Amino acid sequence: MIAAARSELTRLRQPRLLATWFGLMTLFAVMINTVMITFSTGGGSLPAGAPGVAFPTLAELESPSGLMSGLAAASSMFGVVTLSIWAVVTAGDYGSGLIRLLVAAEPRRWRLLAGKVVALVILTAAATTVAAIVNVLAALPLAGAAGISTTAWGTDLVEVVAGAWVNLFLALCVWGVLGLVIATLARSAAVAIAIGVGYVLVVESIIKMLKDVPSDWLLGTILNAVAAGGTAAVAYSTALALGLGYVTLGLVIAGFVYIRRDVTD
Amino acid sequence: MSVVSTTDLTRRFGPITALDRLTVDLPATGVIGLVGPNGSGKSTLIRILLGLIRPTSGSASVLGSAISSPSHYSSRVGVLVESPAFIPGLSARSNLVSLARLRHLPLARVDAVLAQVGLVGRDREPVKRFSLGMKQRLGIAAALLPDPELLILDEPTNGLDPAGIVEIRELLRDLGRNGRTVFVSSHQLSEIEAVCDYLVVIRFGKLVFSGPMAEMMKRTREHIDIAAEHAGDMDRLEATLVAGGWAVSAVDDVLRVAASADRAAELNRAAAGAGVTLSRLVFAQDNLEEIFLAMTGRVDGELANGRAAVDEKVA
Repeated sequence: MIAAARSELTRLRQPRLLATWFGLMTLFAVMINTVMITFSTGGGSLPAGAPGVAFPTLAELESPSGLMSGLAAASSMFGVVTLSIWAVVTAGDYGSGLIRLLVAAEPRRWRLLAGKVVALVILTAAATTVAAIVNVLAALPLAGAAGISTTAWGTDLVEVVAGAWVNLFLALCVWGVLGLVIATLARSAAVAIAIGVGYVLVVESIIKMLKDVPSDWLLGTILNAVAAGGTAAVAYSTALALGLGYVTLGLVIAGFVYIRRDVTD
Repeated sequence: MSVVSTTDLTRRFGPITALDRLTVDLPATGVIGLVGPNGSGKSTLIRILLGLIRPTSGSASVLGSAISSPSHYSSRVGVLVESPAFIPGLSARSNLVSLARLRHLPLARVDAVLAQVGLVGRDREPVKRFSLGMKQRLGIAAALLPDPELLILDEPTNGLDPAGIVEIRELLRDLGRNGRTVFVSSHQLSEIEAVCDYLVVIRFGKLVFSGPMAEMMKRTREHIDIAAEHAGDMDRLEATLVAGGWAVSAVDDVLRVAASADRAAELNRAAAGAGVTLSRLVFAQDNLEEIFLAMTGRVDGELANGRAAVDEKVA
């Protein structure tokens, strides 16, 4: 599996792929901080119910955790990017025909899949780090310019930054696995992205509108809760447990299909 | 020892039988050619041997290990299946490095195979800048990475220019001479004829021929093509020869007489006896392509399979 992961990491070292991934993480980190701080100081009502976005209040922004609140607020955007990259990488093996070469070289397909997951998790950690660094670099000057008090931001700094990083990283891993599972089933990045993003951001939003249907089990709700370290609707531990359940189920399905299916075209 | 052995190997895709109880033993000898019309089951056979797809029934082994455990032989087999597949944004070297890592190979093998296929100097360029011929070379380099005992190549000369085809032909010959077995499928029958020591012909998933190339070429038919000086004499010439017991058929603007070269003078005298002067008398032998077409017919396998599927649905 280590050999498969090292092999996959070599293939993932594509300048365009990494520039797209890290570039979008940077863009969304800057964008969310700009919009979030503008809304909070403008006194306007925050679009808390908007799909994929959950803005903090001004008081929350000025608390010690306010420095990293952009990561949780933009977790769905980061998630969509991560889902897309995992889907593109997974489906790309089928689209290019590389899967034939890989399976012929390593017929124990579970090793290939596990190696791919490990490699993508490593790069997801790197992408999370990029988002966290850019978030800090963007939040400080933007908050200063907007007159938001940042005196509390130094309190428990390491704990706050590390906690936000871990929460976003875990949420992104679940997003990524979702992309990998659908791409393995569909063998098409475009289909996987459309289904994944469409389900989490559109279908789940519609389900939430149905008042009689409990929504705290939905994947999007769980992922937002993991990224935020727990919400009023879903406790952090519950979110982690459900997230782990979704990941396990997804990997079992993807693994079964990946191992059993004929490699034809 | 057989490098590849199959017994009643069958694979169905819905109503289509791609391989039909194929039983064949391939010796560990030089270059083995696998030929057959489109849709004859060549790619299906190769994919089953590599563990990419599973047979519906029957059994097979590669280098003495059952295909149910391809990991037992994958490190001793190099492959190029259909068109070479690489990450276009990565350099040729990085693509090979990723495969070397997957196979637990030292990176020195990457340099060795790059030199072997003549890609040194271009190896740091992204694959997307490569011509089809260069990609094909890179595909062969990837197949050579594990220094395999058995090399399985599916259409290795696809997309190559004539010079490239000759180079690959030489490379396959060298590989076959150096103790490896090269199992190569190709539509380029002239290439197969020039390179292979052993031949397997399949049609509609069934074995048509398996044996040394020399044995195949014994099936060659000899003939003499003749033409009359005046076109108006052709019918009279044909009638005379048929009456004389010669087997004659009209092919384009000549008469093709089934006869060996040593009967040319006799044929000439027969024409002269009928008062016909010959303007052409050429001896020829069937090449592999003509023997192949005589054995397999001129029906495209994919079309035939498709028709069978439609027939079955209609029925």
